Amino acid sequence: MDFLAVQFLTGLASASSLFLVAAGLTVIFGVTRVVNFAHGSLFMLGAYIGWSILTRLPREPGWFALGVLGAAGATALLGVMLEAIVLRRVYRAPELFQLLATFGVVLMVQDATLAVWGPNDLSLARPAWLRASVAIAGQRFPAYDLFLIGIGPLVLLALWLLLHRTRWGVLVRAATQDREMTAALGVDQRLLFSAVFALGAGLAGFGGALSLPDQSANLQMDLSAVVEAFVIVVIGGLGSLPGAYLASLLIGLLQAFGIVFVPRATLVLVFVAMAAVLLIRPNGLLGRPLAPGQITQEIRPVIRAAPTTLKWLGLACLVLAIVAPFFAGPFLLSVLTECTIAILFAASLHVMMGPGGMPSFGHAAWFGLGAYAAALAVERGGASTMVALLAAVLVPGIFAIVFGWFVVRLAGVYLAMLTLAFAQVVWAIAFQWDALTGGDNGILGLWPGGWLRSAPAFYWLTLAICVGGALVLRRAMMAPFGYALRATRDSTRRAQAIGLDPRSLRAAAFALAGAAAGLAGGVFAFAKGSVFPGYAGIGRSVDALVMVLLGGVDTMAGPIVGALAYTGLYDVLLLATSQWRFILGLAIILLVMAFPEGIAGATRRFWLRGREA
Amino acid sequence: MLSVEQVNVFYGRAHALHEVSFSLARGETLVLLGRNGAGKSTTLKALIGLLRATSGRIVFEGHDITRSESYRIARLGLGYVPEERRIFPDLTVAENLLVGRRAQRDGIAPWTPERLFALFPNLAEMRDRPGARMSGGEQQMLAIARTLMGNPRAVLLDEPSEGLAPVILDQLVAAIRALREQGVAVLLAEQNFRFAARIAERAALIETGRIAWSGTLQELAADGGLRGRYLGV
Repeated sequence: MDFLAVQFLTGLASASSLFLVAAGLTVIFGVTRVVNFAHGSLFMLGAYIGWSILTRLPREPGWFALGVLGAAGATALLGVMLEAIVLRRVYRAPELFQLLATFGVVLMVQDATLAVWGPNDLSLARPAWLRASVAIAGQRFPAYDLFLIGIGPLVLLALWLLLHRTRWGVLVRAATQDREMTAALGVDQRLLFSAVFALGAGLAGFGGALSLPDQSANLQMDLSAVVEAFVIVVIGGLGSLPGAYLASLLIGLLQAFGIVFVPRATLVLVFVAMAAVLLIRPNGLLGRPLAPGQITQEIRPVIRAAPTTLKWLGLACLVLAIVAPFFAGPFLLSVLTECTIAILFAASLHVMMGPGGMPSFGHAAWFGLGAYAAALAVERGGASTMVALLAAVLVPGIFAIVFGWFVVRLAGVYLAMLTLAFAQVVWAIAFQWDALTGGDNGILGLWPGGWLRSAPAFYWLTLAICVGGALVLRRAMMAPFGYALRATRDSTRRAQAIGLDPRSLRAAAFALAGAAAGLAGGVFAFAKGSVFPGYAGIGRSVDALVMVLLGGVDTMAGPIVGALAYTGLYDVLLLATSQWRFILGLAIILLVMAFPEGIAGATRRFWLRGREA
Repeated sequence: MLSVEQVNVFYGRAHALHEVSFSLARGETLVLLGRNGAGKSTTLKALIGLLRATSGRIVFEGHDITRSESYRIARLGLGYVPEERRIFPDLTVAENLLVGRRAQRDGIAPWTPERLFALFPNLAEMRDRPGARMSGGEQQMLAIARTLMGNPRAVLLDEPSEGLAPVILDQLVAAIRALREQGVAVLLAEQNFRFAARIAERAALIETGRIAWSGTLQELAADGGLRGRYLGV
């Protein structure tokens, strides 16, 4: 029992830390409607800046408090810069483009942090007062964690007072509910947005600096923090602070007790909890559906078949790709193989995001499932390469049918988060179920057998499968099924009124996309000769998102162009410079600013200028 | 104080307003009359900067506001009360008023919540009620009161009479007349001629995005044929 009491307190302490990051994210989202993927980077910067400040100050509690506040202030300042330089230019862009831009920031901050603070984890020397503990139920409990337990509710109270008892807070809440009306009443939202960003970033930095005594500052904390914060914000309900606190308690306690009772499933637990909450309450614990004034209706351009010139260009590229093995070296051939697989992977996500209207943050789930299905078919079942590839279509396809049934009930960011949750569960199973998947070591030695052993032969198979798969998807989107799907996306009610069943249509698109992504994963497993949990990881989901958005959501050529541009850029940068993240991030941000409709979208606009009546 | 010169507005490729021109003098009440979809709301939205005019000029108090952002236009003293009222649903009556508050202006007795509660007694009894839990009439009054908190020199009222009970309409008429006595100009968009006739001095008839006729309200009241052509159902 005593042990459980301490575990309970530990849960409360980690809930406070979680809440600090999530609170900033939810405040920023509530007002600006920006899904700020860079929030974890602000948390990380808070920790690093905090380390730099605190190691230079006397190790006294008073100085510690001052140093933490200093780190929070510095992070707030960086947040304002981020808002002014990047986000202010993309407020009018679709939600997902803002996400893409903030992801570019994540990449840049990673390299910048590495350059400034180096690759090693930085931990704080803990003076006696930080190591002090109190006896609780016969157990020693760190005094610092008791302090953390108090911080969460205190910050919640302070934020509540700020938002309800000051005019500034009332303006923030008004802007959250109806931006246009707030502007029409004479409120300058730019100032409001900057201030909100400063507040949110400051909270993240505060959380980062406060985390130093318990954990070190490291380069992985940005993504893990932002994913946790997203989960909490979504469980609590977007924009709801009390909801975020409740969700932090839920996750904090779940982790504290999970590690005791189901140590091998801790990673899964959090995402299962999120999925369960979303199924029962599609808008989170305390969230509400958006009011009409909050939804910015995007009018999406019609997707048309490519003009003849583009078709000839595509055919020329295909011919070039077919003859490539005769003149390309092994390295170029492997880059081409990866590019080809990326095309199918991106095209499958495009089916969901574009015509399907279902943004997915977890598309790697299907890619990973396909890769593992193929790998296990070979390793456990002794299957041939072709049978394994069949498994790579069927297994993710069946999972996508089952999971799609749940997913199509949700919309927007909630839907995206549920897909992320599923991907994280797949990743966690791959990572934690050593006996089946080999855990972090993955499954090795999966080379294609028989006649596919020669590199050109396998490349041609890849080309046939991936280009063929992408063409099948294109055909489906240009068929009545695709039109019905787009009708459902543009107006669910009108689609229903003419006899379409939106849920079935979306579920079918979901299954189709899942199966296609799985096939891409299966081919990838053989191309690399191995599978790892990372195939289902956030990084790969983001890759897919970037490819589709970079190319353009509203053209059929978009995902193909995006896949080639991103994979090519990635491979070249990786080879050319160690600062590839910084340059890639910068490139993404600049592309989002220059071509908010994606590369293919912008090209089409220039192409069609003056041609369309 | 407000002059609109040959304004054109497009929704995508749809031409919503054609060469719309009119002007509003200090303390005057002008009603823009027309059927649903005639372009009344579009005109008002273009004035407050929620829609952009593709050509033409809008001048308010000597400032060219054709390309200004909404908040700047509002700060110059042009108030806007939208058709859907757009009360902040999670904010209380008092908080809704607080959002509208702006610095006082020369020559206008500053509006305070107390003065507004005297003008709209219903609101005084529900200061702490969230906007979502108010009736349509109460929301309409709050929407007007909220805009007045900005001490505007002119107010754009978009179909305030829509869906209101007669007794509420009487209060509304009284309130709008009180505004005029303060020297606040009112631009009213309406399809309810009888309501408009109780408050407006001048009228402009709008149809398919064009001003079809303008004159005094007496002239319009005397010409049943004209009303039938542009307002009859």
